Amino acid sequence: MNAYLLWAFAIGPVLIAEALLARYEVLAYGSGWRTPVTKLPEGVPYARGAAPDSPPDAYLVYLDGIGKRRVRDSRDGGQLVKALIARAPELRVLGQVQPYSPLAAPLAERPVWKWLRHRIGLLLFLHNVMQIFVAADQRYRPLYNRAVGSQISTQLRLAGYRPDSGIPVVLLSYSGGAQVAGGAIDELYSRLRSPLLLITLGGFHNGANDLTRAEHLHRLTSSSDRIERVGTWMFPQRWPLFRGSAWNRADRAGKITVHRLDPATHVGPCSYVSPTAQLPDGRSHLDRTADTVIALIRDRHRVTRVTEVSDHP
Amino acid sequence: MALVVLLLFAGVSEAAGRILPVAVGRPGMSRTRVAGLLCAGGLVEGAVFALWPLTAWTLAELVLSSAPAGDGLAWTPDLVAPLVLAAVLAFPLLGPFLHLLLFVAVGAGLAGPLAAATDLGWWGAAGCVAVAGAGLGIAVEAVRRLVVRISAAEARGAVT
Repeated sequence: MNAYLLWAFAIGPVLIAEALLARYEVLAYGSGWRTPVTKLPEGVPYARGAAPDSPPDAYLVYLDGIGKRRVRDSRDGGQLVKALIARAPELRVLGQVQPYSPLAAPLAERPVWKWLRHRIGLLLFLHNVMQIFVAADQRYRPLYNRAVGSQISTQLRLAGYRPDSGIPVVLLSYSGGAQVAGGAIDELYSRLRSPLLLITLGGFHNGANDLTRAEHLHRLTSSSDRIERVGTWMFPQRWPLFRGSAWNRADRAGKITVHRLDPATHVGPCSYVSPTAQLPDGRSHLDRTADTVIALIRDRHRVTRVTEVSDHP
Repeated sequence: MALVVLLLFAGVSEAAGRILPVAVGRPGMSRTRVAGLLCAGGLVEGAVFALWPLTAWTLAELVLSSAPAGDGLAWTPDLVAPLVLAAVLAFPLLGPFLHLLLFVAVGAGLAGPLAAATDLGWWGAAGCVAVAGAGLGIAVEAVRRLVVRISAAEARGAVT
């Protein structure tokens, strides 16, 4: 067969179908053809950790990387979320948000995708990668951001969050989840008026989302994280040259703090969330990541309390 | 028949890359309306694709002092097939670059037969194909903008 025809009829349509399907979901959301899902499957709690009868120190929303295909799963088998809950009982943790679905519909629960998951599972990853790029595309970004911001706000309310309560919301994002976390800020703020703290773990994002409404962004990274580095090369808004970009403006405003988690990699046996890779101090990479995240949240909480006390003697 | 189907697919593919971003920005678009826009856009884009070799041939006739000996330049299935991928325009970030690359490759494919049928040489033929493609592209872009402007005015009229 002619090479052109092979390309045109075999590989190309798959990629294009993915690219168009990813956009279709934003279109379905924006046009109101389908209502976003709010109810979780039977037996899945809206949040774990601190009990709902008293206000937690903070609500932590975990936005997973491209491996997120269902309400329950995450690319690390939920280990990071479990470690955070075990170490910080004062937090209420939400791990069910679907960063790669404007309709909040888990990919692996849809009929065709369920069939594909058992046969060509790679397509599900490809779909989520496409969703990151759709979320980064300036034509679709406003709508995508509104969709996911609205999804997070709904899940927070269902988990017991009360608008204007002053309880901080921490968006902990891994990899491509960072694109969505940054985009959700404005919608979240306008719906809940909550103090927002962002923590990115190997964050892959285009740096175009406005961080004005976020109190701070902690960037957890490593010199061995190639995927995060690709993001800083790929998107011009991340280049220092473009001083007016949202990312560079936030950096100049002192809103971004970098924390090195060397020698962790983005994925694999030495990743940020590896329970087996050991550090010289005897902790695993997973332990260190969880400790760092919790320390950042507690530091923020302590500073806020000190400020409140000094404001109201 | 295969050629017509391919041209139609290519037209719909091109239209999908251009219409979806516009549709996304407009709340209240019904499925039927989006499908209708895709089909109408696909027909127009397909017709423009169909005209590309004919326009290039006409340009070549204008450039040459004597009429070329060949019967004309026409699409063949293998030449038009890559255009089915025209929806690469919908790819984020890389989309416009991939789209341009696709059209350069298809144009280069058309330049070969045109050069063989005329005395223009490959570069001369490639020039005719490029000018024809650019001219058609500008014309269809003008139509697209006009349609967007009219439909936006209609939408505003419906709201007020």
